[in-house]
Amino acid sequence: MRYIILVVLNLPIILLALLNIITQYKMKRMSKRRFIKQLILWVATLTIIAGSYPLYNLIIGRPSLDSIDLSVFDIVQTTAIIFLFYIINKQRQKSEQNERRLRDLHQELSIKLSLHEKN
Amino acid sequence: MSKIKPVTKKICVVIPAFNEEQVIKDVILDVKSSFDKTNYQTEIVLVNDASKDNTAKIAKKYGATIINHILNTGAGGATATGLSYAQQNDFDIACTMDADGQHASEDVVKGVKLLIEHNIDLMIGSRLISSQGMSTAKIIGNKGLSFITYVLFGINSTDSQSGLRIFSKTALEQLHWKTNGYEFCSEMLWRAKQQKLHISEYPIQAIYTEYSMAKGQNNWNAINILKNLIRRRVVEMFE
Repeated sequence: MRYIILVVLNLPIILLALLNIITQYKMKRMSKRRFIKQLILWVATLTIIAGSYPLYNLIIGRPSLDSIDLSVFDIVQTTAIIFLFYIINKQRQKSEQNERRLRDLHQELSIKLSLHEKN
Repeated sequence: MSKIKPVTKKICVVIPAFNEEQVIKDVILDVKSSFDKTNYQTEIVLVNDASKDNTAKIAKKYGATIINHILNTGAGGATATGLSYAQQNDFDIACTMDADGQHASEDVVKGVKLLIEHNIDLMIGSRLISSQGMSTAKIIGNKGLSFITYVLFGINSTDSQSGLRIFSKTALEQLHWKTNGYEFCSEMLWRAKQQKLHISEYPIQAIYTEYSMAKGQNNWNAINILKNLIRRRVVEMFE
Protein backbone atom coordinates (compact mmCIF):
# COMPACT_ATOMS: atom_id res chain seq x y z
CA MET A 1 0.00 0.00 0.00
CA ARG A 2 2.79 2.43 0.94
CA TYR A 3 4.48 1.90 -2.42
CA ILE A 4 1.22 2.80 -4.15
CA ILE A 5 1.03 6.01 -2.07
CA LEU A 6 4.61 6.81 -3.10
CA VAL A 7 3.72 6.42 -6.78
CA VAL A 8 0.40 8.28 -6.45
CA LEU A 9 2.08 11.24 -4.72
CA ASN A 10 5.00 11.50 -7.13
CA LEU A 11 3.32 10.67 -10.42
CA PRO A 12 1.58 14.08 -10.81
CA ILE A 13 4.86 15.95 -10.18
CA ILE A 14 6.73 13.85 -12.75
CA LEU A 15 3.92 14.10 -15.29
CA LEU A 16 3.81 17.87 -14.78
CA ALA A 17 7.56 18.05 -15.38
CA LEU A 18 7.26 15.92 -18.52
CA LEU A 19 4.35 18.03 -19.78
CA ASN A 20 6.38 21.17 -19.11
CA ILE A 21 9.43 20.02 -21.08
CA ILE A 22 7.35 18.70 -23.99
CA THR A 23 5.47 22.02 -24.19
CA GLN A 24 8.73 24.01 -24.02
CA TYR A 25 10.24 21.86 -26.78
CA LYS A 26 7.18 22.04 -29.03
CA MET A 27 7.07 25.82 -28.62
CA LYS A 28 10.76 25.91 -29.64
CA ARG A 29 11.86 27.36 -26.32
CA MET A 30 14.12 24.39 -25.66
CA SER A 31 16.80 22.83 -27.84
CA LYS A 32 16.50 19.17 -28.90
CA ARG A 33 19.61 18.33 -26.90
CA ARG A 34 18.27 19.87 -23.74
CA PHE A 35 14.88 18.23 -24.30
CA ILE A 36 16.43 14.75 -24.61
CA LYS A 37 18.50 15.23 -21.44
CA GLN A 38 15.51 16.44 -19.44
CA LEU A 39 13.33 13.64 -20.83
CA ILE A 40 15.88 10.98 -19.81
CA LEU A 41 16.14 12.56 -16.34
CA TRP A 42 12.40 12.53 -15.63
CA VAL A 43 11.71 9.15 -17.25
CA ALA A 44 14.53 7.71 -15.11
CA THR A 45 12.96 9.26 -11.99
CA LEU A 46 9.57 7.80 -12.96
CA THR A 47 11.10 4.36 -13.55
CA ILE A 48 12.87 4.39 -10.19
CA ILE A 49 9.70 5.42 -8.33
CA ALA A 50 7.51 2.93 -10.19
CA GLY A 51 10.08 0.19 -9.82
CA SER A 52 10.77 0.68 -6.11
CA TYR A 53 8.44 -2.13 -5.01
CA PRO A 54 9.77 -4.81 -7.40
CA LEU A 55 13.28 -3.63 -6.50
CA TYR A 56 12.52 -4.04 -2.80
CA ASN A 57 11.18 -7.55 -3.40
CA LEU A 58 14.29 -8.36 -5.38
CA ILE A 59 16.78 -7.29 -2.76
CA ILE A 60 14.93 -8.44 0.37
CA GLY A 61 16.54 -11.41 2.00
CA ARG A 62 19.94 -10.79 0.42
CA PRO A 63 22.36 -10.14 3.27
CA SER A 64 24.38 -7.41 1.55
CA LEU A 65 21.36 -5.48 0.21
CA ASP A 66 18.67 -6.25 2.80
CA SER A 67 16.75 -3.20 4.01
CA ILE A 68 13.71 -2.28 6.05
CA ASP A 69 10.31 -1.65 4.49
CA LEU A 70 9.27 1.79 3.21
CA SER A 71 8.13 4.08 6.04
CA VAL A 72 5.74 7.04 5.88
CA PHE A 73 8.72 9.30 6.56
CA ASP A 74 10.50 7.80 3.51
CA ILE A 75 7.46 8.60 1.36
CA VAL A 76 7.29 12.19 2.59
CA GLN A 77 11.04 12.69 2.17
CA THR A 78 11.17 11.19 -1.34
CA THR A 79 8.17 13.24 -2.47
CA ALA A 80 9.70 16.41 -1.01
CA ILE A 81 13.01 15.76 -2.81
CA ILE A 82 11.30 15.19 -6.16
CA PHE A 83 9.07 18.23 -5.69
CA LEU A 84 12.06 20.43 -4.77
CA PHE A 85 13.98 19.08 -7.74
CA TYR A 86 11.08 20.03 -10.00
CA ILE A 87 10.85 23.55 -8.52
CA ILE A 88 14.64 24.15 -8.66
CA ASN A 89 14.84 22.94 -12.25
CA LYS A 90 11.97 25.19 -13.30
CA GLN A 91 13.36 28.22 -11.47
CA ARG A 92 16.81 27.71 -12.95
CA GLN A 93 15.32 27.62 -16.44
CA LYS A 94 13.46 30.86 -15.76
CA SER A 95 16.48 32.54 -14.23
CA GLU A 96 18.71 31.57 -17.18
CA GLN A 97 16.09 32.78 -19.63
CA ASN A 98 15.84 36.12 -17.83
CA GLU A 99 19.62 36.44 -17.62
CA ARG A 100 19.91 35.85 -21.37
CA ARG A 101 17.12 38.34 -22.13
CA LEU A 102 18.70 40.98 -19.91
CA ARG A 103 22.09 40.48 -21.52
CA ASP A 104 20.64 40.70 -25.04
CA LEU A 105 18.67 43.80 -24.07
CA HIS A 106 21.74 45.48 -22.58
CA GLN A 107 23.81 44.58 -25.63
CA GLU A 108 21.24 45.88 -28.11
CA LEU A 109 20.55 49.00 -26.10
CA SER A 110 24.27 49.80 -25.82
CA ILE A 111 24.80 49.38 -29.57
CA LYS A 112 21.68 51.32 -30.57
CA LEU A 113 22.28 54.21 -28.14
CA SER A 114 25.95 54.52 -29.10
CA LEU A 115 25.15 54.59 -32.80
CA HIS A 116 22.36 57.08 -32.19
CA GLU A 117 24.83 59.36 -30.39
CA LYS A 118 27.33 58.92 -33.23
CA ASN A 119 24.80 59.98 -35.87
CA MET B 1 39.45 44.91 -71.05
CA SER B 2 38.04 46.07 -67.77
CA LYS B 3 39.99 45.39 -64.62
CA ILE B 4 38.36 43.21 -61.99
CA LYS B 5 38.35 45.17 -58.76
CA PRO B 6 39.70 43.01 -55.89
CA VAL B 7 37.16 42.47 -53.13
CA THR B 8 38.28 44.26 -49.98
CA LYS B 9 37.51 42.45 -46.78
CA LYS B 10 35.66 44.42 -44.13
CA ILE B 11 37.47 43.98 -40.82
CA CYS B 12 36.16 44.99 -37.41
CA VAL B 13 38.74 45.29 -34.63
CA VAL B 14 36.92 44.98 -31.32
CA ILE B 15 38.66 46.32 -28.22
CA PRO B 16 36.79 45.69 -24.96
CA ALA B 17 38.01 48.27 -22.45
CA PHE B 18 37.55 49.19 -18.82
CA ASN B 19 39.45 52.18 -17.38
CA GLU B 20 42.28 52.19 -19.92
CA GLU B 21 42.75 55.95 -20.47
CA GLN B 22 46.51 55.72 -19.96
CA VAL B 23 47.19 53.42 -22.90
CA ILE B 24 44.16 53.47 -25.18
CA LYS B 25 45.51 56.21 -27.44
CA ASP B 26 48.66 54.19 -28.24
CA VAL B 27 46.67 51.00 -28.79
CA ILE B 28 44.29 52.65 -31.28
CA LEU B 29 47.05 54.48 -33.16
CA ASP B 30 49.07 51.27 -33.33
CA VAL B 31 46.13 49.30 -34.78
CA LYS B 32 45.41 52.10 -37.25
CA SER B 33 48.99 52.28 -38.50
CA SER B 34 49.21 48.50 -38.95
CA PHE B 35 45.93 48.22 -40.86
CA ASP B 36 46.70 51.32 -42.96
CA LYS B 37 49.47 49.28 -44.57
CA THR B 38 46.91 46.70 -45.76
CA ASN B 39 44.05 46.99 -48.23
CA TYR B 40 41.41 45.93 -45.72
CA GLN B 41 38.50 48.19 -44.93
CA THR B 42 38.90 48.50 -41.17
CA GLU B 43 36.79 49.85 -38.33
CA ILE B 44 38.07 49.99 -34.78
CA VAL B 45 35.28 49.47 -32.25
CA LEU B 46 35.94 50.20 -28.61
CA VAL B 47 33.42 48.65 -26.24
CA ASN B 48 33.58 50.86 -23.19
CA ASP B 49 32.48 48.57 -20.37
CA ALA B 50 31.18 51.41 -18.17
CA SER B 51 34.63 52.88 -17.52
CA LYS B 52 34.85 55.59 -14.88
CA ASP B 53 37.67 57.46 -16.64
CA ASN B 54 38.11 59.09 -20.08
CA THR B 55 38.74 55.88 -22.05
CA ALA B 56 35.79 56.43 -24.40
CA LYS B 57 36.52 60.13 -24.95
CA ILE B 58 40.17 59.48 -25.86
CA ALA B 59 39.30 56.54 -28.12
CA LYS B 60 36.68 58.61 -29.93
CA LYS B 61 39.20 61.42 -30.43
CA TYR B 62 41.54 59.01 -32.21
CA GLY B 63 38.88 57.66 -34.56
CA ALA B 64 37.41 54.59 -32.87
CA THR B 65 33.70 53.83 -32.93
CA ILE B 66 32.48 53.79 -29.36
CA ILE B 67 29.89 51.47 -27.89
CA ASN B 68 29.18 52.49 -24.33
CA HIS B 69 27.94 49.80 -22.00
CA ILE B 70 25.35 51.09 -19.59
CA LEU B 71 26.38 48.55 -16.97
CA ASN B 72 29.77 46.95 -16.33
CA THR B 73 29.43 43.37 -17.57
CA GLY B 74 32.97 42.03 -17.70
CA ALA B 75 35.28 41.03 -20.55
CA GLY B 76 32.94 38.32 -21.87
CA GLY B 77 29.95 40.64 -22.08
CA ALA B 78 31.94 43.47 -23.69
CA THR B 79 33.43 41.11 -26.28
CA ALA B 80 29.96 39.72 -27.07
CA THR B 81 28.65 43.27 -27.65
CA GLY B 82 31.54 44.11 -29.97
CA LEU B 83 31.10 40.93 -32.00
CA SER B 84 27.35 41.45 -32.16
CA TYR B 85 28.02 44.91 -33.63
CA ALA B 86 30.37 43.34 -36.20
CA GLN B 87 27.75 40.79 -37.16
CA GLN B 88 24.95 43.34 -37.42
CA ASN B 89 27.08 45.57 -39.64
CA ASP B 90 27.99 42.75 -42.00
CA PHE B 91 31.74 42.60 -41.38
CA ASP B 92 33.61 39.72 -43.05
CA ILE B 93 36.08 39.26 -40.22
CA ALA B 94 36.23 40.48 -36.62
CA CYS B 95 39.25 40.55 -34.30
CA THR B 96 39.38 41.03 -30.57
CA MET B 97 42.41 42.31 -28.72
CA ASP B 98 43.20 43.56 -25.22
CA ALA B 99 43.03 47.27 -24.48
CA ASP B 100 46.06 47.29 -22.17
CA GLY B 101 48.60 47.22 -24.98
CA GLN B 102 49.53 43.59 -24.40
CA HIS B 103 49.08 42.66 -28.06
CA ALA B 104 51.08 43.86 -31.02
CA SER B 105 48.80 45.07 -33.82
CA GLU B 106 51.08 43.37 -36.41
CA ASP B 107 49.99 40.09 -34.83
CA VAL B 108 46.34 40.99 -35.45
CA VAL B 109 47.06 41.67 -39.14
CA LYS B 110 49.06 38.43 -39.34
CA GLY B 111 46.12 36.51 -37.81
CA VAL B 112 43.66 38.00 -40.30
CA LYS B 113 45.90 36.95 -43.21
CA LEU B 114 46.25 33.42 -41.83
CA LEU B 115 42.51 33.11 -41.27
CA ILE B 116 41.79 34.10 -44.87
CA GLU B 117 44.57 31.95 -46.36
CA HIS B 118 43.69 28.78 -44.47
CA ASN B 119 39.92 29.27 -44.38
CA ILE B 120 39.72 29.09 -40.60
CA ASP B 121 36.72 30.11 -38.49
CA LEU B 122 38.38 30.95 -35.20
CA MET B 123 42.04 31.86 -34.96
CA ILE B 124 43.66 32.18 -31.54
CA GLY B 125 46.83 34.17 -30.99
CA SER B 126 48.81 32.04 -28.58
CA ARG B 127 51.29 33.73 -26.25
CA LEU B 128 52.54 30.37 -25.08
CA ILE B 129 53.82 28.76 -28.28
CA SER B 130 56.85 30.93 -27.60
CA SER B 131 56.41 32.33 -24.10
CA GLN B 132 59.23 34.88 -24.25
CA GLY B 133 58.76 37.85 -21.96
CA MET B 134 56.09 36.18 -19.86
CA SER B 135 56.69 35.72 -16.16
CA THR B 136 56.81 32.19 -14.73
CA ALA B 137 53.72 32.86 -12.62
CA LYS B 138 51.75 33.88 -15.72
CA ILE B 139 53.02 30.88 -17.69
CA ILE B 140 51.88 28.54 -14.90
CA GLY B 141 48.50 30.27 -14.58
CA ASN B 142 47.78 30.26 -18.30
CA LYS B 143 49.00 26.71 -18.87
CA GLY B 144 46.94 25.57 -15.88
CA LEU B 145 43.78 27.13 -17.32
CA SER B 146 44.50 25.62 -20.74
CA PHE B 147 44.83 22.22 -19.07
CA ILE B 148 41.53 22.74 -17.23
CA THR B 149 39.89 23.74 -20.52
CA TYR B 150 41.16 20.47 -21.97
CA VAL B 151 39.88 18.40 -19.03
CA LEU B 152 36.44 20.06 -18.94
CA PHE B 153 35.75 20.54 -22.63
CA GLY B 154 38.25 18.36 -24.47
CA ILE B 155 39.83 21.29 -26.30
CA ASN B 156 43.55 21.25 -26.81
CA SER B 157 44.71 24.85 -26.84
CA THR B 158 48.11 26.17 -25.78
CA ASP B 159 46.61 29.48 -24.67
CA SER B 160 42.91 29.19 -23.90
CA GLN B 161 42.86 32.63 -22.19
CA SER B 162 44.28 34.68 -25.03
CA GLY B 163 42.34 37.85 -25.82
CA LEU B 164 43.66 38.06 -29.37
CA ARG B 165 41.19 36.16 -31.52
CA ILE B 166 40.11 36.39 -35.12
CA PHE B 167 36.60 35.37 -36.20
CA SER B 168 35.26 34.48 -39.62
CA LYS B 169 31.75 35.50 -40.68
CA THR B 170 30.52 31.97 -39.89
CA ALA B 171 32.00 32.17 -36.39
CA LEU B 172 30.37 35.57 -35.86
CA GLU B 173 26.98 34.12 -36.73
CA GLN B 174 27.29 30.91 -34.75
CA LEU B 175 29.31 31.72 -31.64
CA HIS B 176 27.31 32.61 -28.55
CA TRP B 177 28.46 32.10 -25.00
CA LYS B 178 26.77 32.50 -21.64
CA THR B 179 29.46 33.64 -19.23
CA ASN B 180 30.41 37.29 -18.78
CA GLY B 181 33.74 37.13 -16.95
CA TYR B 182 37.15 35.98 -18.16
CA GLU B 183 35.92 32.38 -18.26
CA PHE B 184 34.23 33.27 -21.57
CA CYS B 185 37.62 32.58 -23.26
CA SER B 186 37.37 28.87 -22.48
CA GLU B 187 33.61 28.74 -22.99
CA MET B 188 33.99 30.31 -26.42
CA LEU B 189 36.32 27.48 -27.47
CA TRP B 190 33.79 24.96 -26.17
CA ARG B 191 30.96 26.59 -28.16
CA ALA B 192 33.18 26.67 -31.25
CA LYS B 193 33.81 22.95 -30.84
CA GLN B 194 30.07 22.30 -30.41
CA GLN B 195 29.38 24.26 -33.61
CA LYS B 196 32.12 22.25 -35.37
CA LEU B 197 34.01 25.40 -36.31
CA HIS B 198 37.53 25.19 -37.67
CA ILE B 199 39.80 26.39 -34.83
CA SER B 200 43.50 27.10 -35.17
CA GLU B 201 46.33 28.84 -33.30
CA TYR B 202 49.32 30.92 -34.29
CA PRO B 203 52.18 32.32 -32.22
CA ILE B 204 52.03 35.91 -31.04
CA GLN B 205 54.22 37.99 -28.78
CA ALA B 206 53.00 39.27 -25.44
CA ILE B 207 54.11 42.77 -24.56
CA TYR B 208 54.29 43.10 -20.81
CA THR B 209 54.79 46.60 -19.51
CA GLU B 210 54.60 47.74 -15.91
CA TYR B 211 51.09 48.98 -16.70
CA SER B 212 49.80 45.74 -18.23
CA MET B 213 51.40 43.70 -15.45
CA ALA B 214 49.57 45.78 -12.87
CA LYS B 215 46.26 45.71 -14.78
CA GLY B 216 46.25 42.11 -15.94
CA GLN B 217 44.67 39.15 -14.20
CA ASN B 218 46.52 37.54 -11.37
CA ASN B 219 46.64 33.84 -10.69
CA TRP B 220 44.01 34.11 -7.93
CA ASN B 221 41.50 35.04 -10.59
CA ALA B 222 42.23 31.65 -12.16
CA ILE B 223 40.43 30.06 -9.18
CA ASN B 224 37.39 32.18 -9.91
CA ILE B 225 37.53 31.23 -13.59
CA LEU B 226 37.89 27.56 -12.67
CA LYS B 227 34.89 27.70 -10.32
CA ASN B 228 32.68 29.32 -12.97
CA LEU B 229 33.81 26.91 -15.69
CA ILE B 230 33.05 23.86 -13.54
CA ARG B 231 29.64 25.29 -12.64
CA ARG B 232 28.84 25.93 -16.31
CA ARG B 233 29.97 22.42 -17.28
CA VAL B 234 27.91 20.76 -14.52
CA VAL B 235 24.80 22.85 -15.20
CA GLU B 236 24.88 21.96 -18.89
CA MET B 237 25.04 18.27 -18.12
CA PHE B 238 21.37 18.58 -17.11
CA GLU B 239 20.33 20.95 -19.87
